[in-house]
Amino acid sequence: MKKLSIIVLLMGMVINGANAQLLKVDQAVYGMDCAPCAYGLEKGFKKMEGIEAVKVSLNDGIAYLTLAPENGLTLRKIQETVKSNGFSSRSAKVVLKGVLKQNENGWAISMNDETFLLNPDTENKILSALKPGPVKLKGLVMDQEDNRPASQWKIRISEIIL
Amino acid sequence: MLAVLHLPINENLAQGHGPLFGLQTPTLAKGGVDFNAAAMSMGTSSDESYMLRYVWSYGINEDLQINLTTPTVINRLTNPPRTRGMSNMPANGDIEASLWYRFFSNAFGVGKRFESTAIIGASAPTEERRGETLVSNSIHAAISTGYASRIWYAWLGGGYQYYFEKNNEQLGDLPYGSLVIGYRPDIFMGDYPKPDWRVFIESLAEFPGSSKSETGVQAFDHRGKKVMAGPSFLGLYGAWGVSFGALFPMYQGIDQSLPKEKYRLSVNLSYWL
Repeated sequence: MKKLSIIVLLMGMVINGANAQLLKVDQAVYGMDCAPCAYGLEKGFKKMEGIEAVKVSLNDGIAYLTLAPENGLTLRKIQETVKSNGFSSRSAKVVLKGVLKQNENGWAISMNDETFLLNPDTENKILSALKPGPVKLKGLVMDQEDNRPASQWKIRISEIIL
Repeated sequence: MLAVLHLPINENLAQGHGPLFGLQTPTLAKGGVDFNAAAMSMGTSSDESYMLRYVWSYGINEDLQINLTTPTVINRLTNPPRTRGMSNMPANGDIEASLWYRFFSNAFGVGKRFESTAIIGASAPTEERRGETLVSNSIHAAISTGYASRIWYAWLGGGYQYYFEKNNEQLGDLPYGSLVIGYRPDIFMGDYPKPDWRVFIESLAEFPGSSKSETGVQAFDHRGKKVMAGPSFLGLYGAWGVSFGALFPMYQGIDQSLPKEKYRLSVNLSYWL
């Protein structure tokens, strides 16, 4: 049991370091009404190191981002790019991998100086399947106040992939 | 160097993607650069002007934008009507630097936002006399508020231009207001990067004050009233934008010594670097 704990801990350290990352982000963007708006935002994302592909939809109001392997991006940096283009970032659907931990505040995943806290409205069947350790999951990161880009987010997990 | 037929961009976004003649609100993204080249003309009862104008805009941040506009005057009116500052001034060959500050913005839905922008500018003339009056430097201030969405747009604004005295002569001041309604038909609701077209109905009300002659007296002692209205069209594709439109007089209550306007035309090409 002790060996198993050490292995899990080592795996966690590895994932939390090099491999803990956002893999995909569908970032909701409010206030974007025209082609130059989308062009500017797309250009802004393409300049960011760690973004592999960008697609911006005016009609959906979403920037669909595929992140490169081993990227160091944070959701905060992504939302700051939205803000610097003059728009408002809202909820984001994400795919991420990291290390799931449980403490007195509940479940949390930390990566790249950001923490994703599990939102209480996550479905019971997902809650019951959670285990400490490396995890890859899909979830909805709740809307945050624009003027104070956060380093701590609330996430509603919709699927545990690994 | 961005304006001539139109104003700078934006916007963010501008961002040069608003009306052609009326005040607008969008500002560029942080670090964004926009270039506009415009061709404009004004027709009066006695003459016609032709001018090219260039506008460069730069987004200091997403709410603060600086603009510089310079003209190439092809044919200058001998007795031009007073037109407002900023880039939409077919009878006004001024070089102008301006600062736009978007002091309020509320993006509350997909493609939807309310925002308000304040504008200050300073202009230097490129001619010695405008009509019968020595023309000097001027300052301009305006404020605009508006609503943007994927379908409807509306902007309401007002401004004031003041010319300084030169050798005891002074061009009259110019308070003005503008109202613009915009609409994007269903057929142009294709998603980015498809072309994006919209149509505006623009209106402009100007109230030119009386100029002071070399004797220091005003030519007449009442403020003129002029209302112009007309359509404009804006097409956007990727980093490019083209807009064109015309204003026609609806009402001209001006002194008989001043020429009556027949039209204002503008065609503008924008590029977001």
